[in-house]
Amino acid sequence: MYLPDFDYIAAATVVKASRLLGSLGPEAKLIAGGTDVLPMLKQGTLATKTLISINRLSELKNISFEKGKGHIIGALATHNEVMKSPVLQEKYMSVCETAHRMANNQIRNIGTIGGNISNAVPSADFPPILIALGATVTLQNSSGSRTLPLEGFFMGPRQSVIAQDEILTEIVIPENGFSGSTYHKFGLRRSGALAVVGVAVAVAMEGNICKDACIVLGAVAPTPMRAKEAEALLRGKEVSDALLEKAGKLAAAASNPITDIRGSEEYRRDMVRVFTRRCLRKAMDNGHV
Amino acid sequence: MMEGKFSVIGKSKPRIDGRVKVTGQAKYTGDLKLSNMLVGKILTSPHAHAMILKIDTTEAQRQPGVKAVITHEDVPDLKYGISPARWDENIFCIDKVRFVGDKVAAVAAIDEETVYKALALIKVDYELLPAVFDPIEALQEGAPLVHEQCPGNVNTEIHQNFGDVEKAFAEAYYVRTDTFVGQRTYQCPIEPHSAISVWEGGKLTVYSSTQSPHYFQYYIARQFGLKMGDVRVIKPHMGGGFGGKLEPTGLEFAGAALAMRTGRPVKMFYDRHEMFAHNRGRHKQIMKVTTGVDKHGKILGVHADFIMDGGAYTSLGVATAYYAGAMLPLTYEYENYKFDMIRAYTNLPACGAQRGHGHPQPRYAYECHLDMLAKDLGMDPLELRLINTRKPNTVTPNDFRVNSCELEACLKKAKEISGWEEKRKNLSSGKGIGLAVGSFVTGAGYPIYRTDLPQAAAMIKVNEDGTSATLYTGAVDIGQGSDTILCQMAAEAMGFTYEQMKIVSADTETTPHDFGAYASRQTLMSGAAVKQAGEEVKQQVIEMASMMLQTDYRDLECREGVIWRKTDPSVTITYAAVARDFFVRKGPLVGKGSYTPPKLGGTFKGAPVGTSPAYSFCAQISQVDIDEETGEIKVEHVWDVHDCGTVINPALLHGQVHGALFMGMGEAVWEEVVFDDKGKILNANLGEYRLPTALDMPNITSELVFSPEPEPAGPWGVKEVGEGSTIPTMGCYSNAIYDAMGVRVYSLPLSYEKVWRALKEKREHEQQK
Amino acid sequence: MQAIQDKEGIKRYLITLYVNGDPYTKVVKANTLLVNVLRDDLDLTGTKKGCELGDCGSCTVLLDGKPVNACLVLAVEADGRDIITIEGLGDNEKLDPIQEAFIENAALQCGYCTAGMIMSAKALLNSNPDPTEKEVREAIAGNLCRCTGYVNIVKAILSCGRQSKGGDE
Repeated sequence: MYLPDFDYIAAATVVKASRLLGSLGPEAKLIAGGTDVLPMLKQGTLATKTLISINRLSELKNISFEKGKGHIIGALATHNEVMKSPVLQEKYMSVCETAHRMANNQIRNIGTIGGNISNAVPSADFPPILIALGATVTLQNSSGSRTLPLEGFFMGPRQSVIAQDEILTEIVIPENGFSGSTYHKFGLRRSGALAVVGVAVAVAMEGNICKDACIVLGAVAPTPMRAKEAEALLRGKEVSDALLEKAGKLAAAASNPITDIRGSEEYRRDMVRVFTRRCLRKAMDNGHV
Repeated sequence: MMEGKFSVIGKSKPRIDGRVKVTGQAKYTGDLKLSNMLVGKILTSPHAHAMILKIDTTEAQRQPGVKAVITHEDVPDLKYGISPARWDENIFCIDKVRFVGDKVAAVAAIDEETVYKALALIKVDYELLPAVFDPIEALQEGAPLVHEQCPGNVNTEIHQNFGDVEKAFAEAYYVRTDTFVGQRTYQCPIEPHSAISVWEGGKLTVYSSTQSPHYFQYYIARQFGLKMGDVRVIKPHMGGGFGGKLEPTGLEFAGAALAMRTGRPVKMFYDRHEMFAHNRGRHKQIMKVTTGVDKHGKILGVHADFIMDGGAYTSLGVATAYYAGAMLPLTYEYENYKFDMIRAYTNLPACGAQRGHGHPQPRYAYECHLDMLAKDLGMDPLELRLINTRKPNTVTPNDFRVNSCELEACLKKAKEISGWEEKRKNLSSGKGIGLAVGSFVTGAGYPIYRTDLPQAAAMIKVNEDGTSATLYTGAVDIGQGSDTILCQMAAEAMGFTYEQMKIVSADTETTPHDFGAYASRQTLMSGAAVKQAGEEVKQQVIEMASMMLQTDYRDLECREGVIWRKTDPSVTITYAAVARDFFVRKGPLVGKGSYTPPKLGGTFKGAPVGTSPAYSFCAQISQVDIDEETGEIKVEHVWDVHDCGTVINPALLHGQVHGALFMGMGEAVWEEVVFDDKGKILNANLGEYRLPTALDMPNITSELVFSPEPEPAGPWGVKEVGEGSTIPTMGCYSNAIYDAMGVRVYSLPLSYEKVWRALKEKREHEQQK
Repeated sequence: MQAIQDKEGIKRYLITLYVNGDPYTKVVKANTLLVNVLRDDLDLTGTKKGCELGDCGSCTVLLDGKPVNACLVLAVEADGRDIITIEGLGDNEKLDPIQEAFIENAALQCGYCTAGMIMSAKALLNSNPDPTEKEVREAIAGNLCRCTGYVNIVKAILSCGRQSKGGDE
């Protein structure tokens, strides 16, 4: 295999990268870790005249907590950096576990959380759990930045609201009232497999009463999707196995999977039911977010 | 008593290539760089079936750095194939392409990037033809013809009938029929194929990642009208084959033509997706099996009625088709056996020989079928097998002579170490335990093309000062460790030490003839030649020592580099001293050996396929844990008990079992080459074609059983180990899944979704009741 | 990083890689991959190419101490960074303990995945000198081996862990 020719520019700042993206137009692409961009270029599923690298912008690697704002994850944090971040491990083990199961160690060492989100691949692992936790993303261009809920970011497979000159710079998980959260990736082998179904759940429990729940499904629709009927069913209810099973069924009914080489529509839908129920139980029993 | 019987064999000596492989020093074909070398690649067809109207190479030729672009017009149009029964491939397609990936043209240029760019500039006009992708559809009247000269797309048709199956079924207490479907899998060696061709005024040298330098030499010489002596094939270190690198890949032919055209060395290679397209992996088989038993469960007769998808070319498929049926009667004793098979051409990549050649899928079908029979009869499946197990010194209905056979001991040991009886009763919900057996050849009784050449030959030269010896063998180490164990065998036979052995192997010019690494043949066949060569050296050493010590040679013994008097062990002399003296007085101290098997098998059509000097036997038990809601299969443990004769190197031997089982496991649960409706592979990469990772592999217990009398056909009593443990695995898992959940999956792979579906159907069925 | 245009009008970049402790300055193109610089320009062919898409791990090297697939790293992005390849382990006198362990435990067959496997193992042992079996399997999950079923590889890596603590358990 080989990489077709392209120009390479290592951007010194986000603003410069944005200007370049703006002036060069759609034939310029951003590269961070490259674990998605390079295989696509090699396989001919992506073409570019210029790769603009933001890999050296170390300010985008920061993972921290800011009171009043929440947990901030720089877009260039690698999966392993997310996985090993003490700040995240303390509060959002579910996010760290998501990073862990995302890919093998070599990929986790270079792939970035920003890349995993901005590629907008329906089976991506970070978006469901981050949406469930109410995360926002900040998109920056040369004239400023905007912050929007991650839930509104995706438009379709490999399509998002990000403009040609915008760069995803940070993800923020705001302070929230969830008492537990989890993400389950159902893949066809224990490593190196994309999600056939991904289910993320965040719940706020008071005793056995579910005060709030957010359920986000991955790989079963053109974008990550909320299972809102299931969430509504749970709110304010005393939790029972039957209730969770019913929530699973509602989530399955709401999902919109396709049949491909990894699984049929019918199988995926039923896996949504199973894993919604199991994830709810796990998040409720976890006692931590 | 066994202790001390052997000095060198039977010990886990470190691999002779261990150090170079852990340091990265070992050079594989793709690592080699020759001066002035060009890089070449083959342009392949994007269509499954199309007429080639026009090939325009002008623009590609014009690219700076491009040195040659060739098509069928520039190469011989002689058809070839590894199987002389049906030569049906050309170096490049002439009139039409027959699958996505068929070879159309090739480019040589100064570097990789230029080659890729030039390939994209070759313009080929195609006229699309209707294509056929399913073997059953291919056999229907009016189906598109893959090869015009082959009506009905029938590539191979077999009808064998031994005894009287109809009568056996008529007299049987119970007859059962089941149909199973296998899948296409690919060998997936981690090293991609590669070949470097060097043309030096009349002589062609090819470095190649090949399992058989000999067959490559034979076919390359034939293709270009060269004398075999003017073609040299060398196999550098090699990164696995598993059957997929046994036959010419096109890289050697195209590379040779480009080297002849340019006068420069040309390195050709496949990318991973091109390896998948070249394929030669496992055939998909549709397998209908019928068995009649008496009321005790004794098998009276078996009918195997199979169809296989061969893809667009013959490859090794004629042999595969015969193997599929020929191997079934090895494990159980019965007189009446009928085997029908059609191998169909389709517009998909050609299938060939993958580990266990043709046999693992039929074995999956049969072992599942037997478990279902056992259930119908209310018997323990292990007991049913014990009633029918083959005994030593018997002959199969298709005329295979079985000498040593410890299948019964394999079953009993597997039962014991797995805790079979206890687990059959007491495993917790969702868990199950299953069993299957297998058997395999220790080398094919006959070479792939008709010839009276010996199967293997070897030469040992003790080096001049006597401190080391070099084994010259045509045997091919593809990773399995033949270089190591043949050196152990040489040292044992010579009375020498392994640590002082050197080896030159798999080079048609410097090493004696050998057919190569396939059909688990080298330990027995190459080993027999090596043993003979070693004994010839030993005899000369002892004779020389007898002169030097002035002792009757019959009173001398020689082991591990020392010669001593049996009657007075204090009188010793070193091998080195004797060998040096030998050289001074008589010239090179050389021993040679060769091996030709005895005449094997019957006289009916196809009788040679499946013959072998010796057969291995194996029983496997696996324990699985099934997620009843998702169908996810967790294999918790596998117990493998092998009857593989005398062990040369225990560490390497168990490594073969682990690897064979790993491949069987991948095929059982995950691996399948999937196509779209245009015949294009959807998962020609290692992300979506899922080999098990380290996290997926269960614990493996690998144990052996031994015959009271060593196998007479093999040197020191050796038998097969490299492929046997792939054979039972799929059936074994299927039976374990049934034990766990009471559902049967009738097609491979036994994917999570298929198990989920079977469970769902079972629940729905129960609700209806 | 300096970029120049050659006479063909192609942009070339001057990079310096610190490979196995030594500086190598090379002129590469934007689309040159680290694995190709190592294999073709530096002749460090111990690093293998198996799939070129980051699925098999044959090209695993340590980049600033971390295992990565050299087939997914642009040479220009490796400029100025430390790279350890299989050739950088052990020395002529003494192999690295993990290399010894692979030989002793028959943890290799064809050897094609071995370099990448050893680099992943090395990275694990550097950060976790006494890993559990699960940690070992997790660390090499990105390295596919078609020969061994991983049985002896896991054994070899675990044996190093115990050795590093001194003595058997």
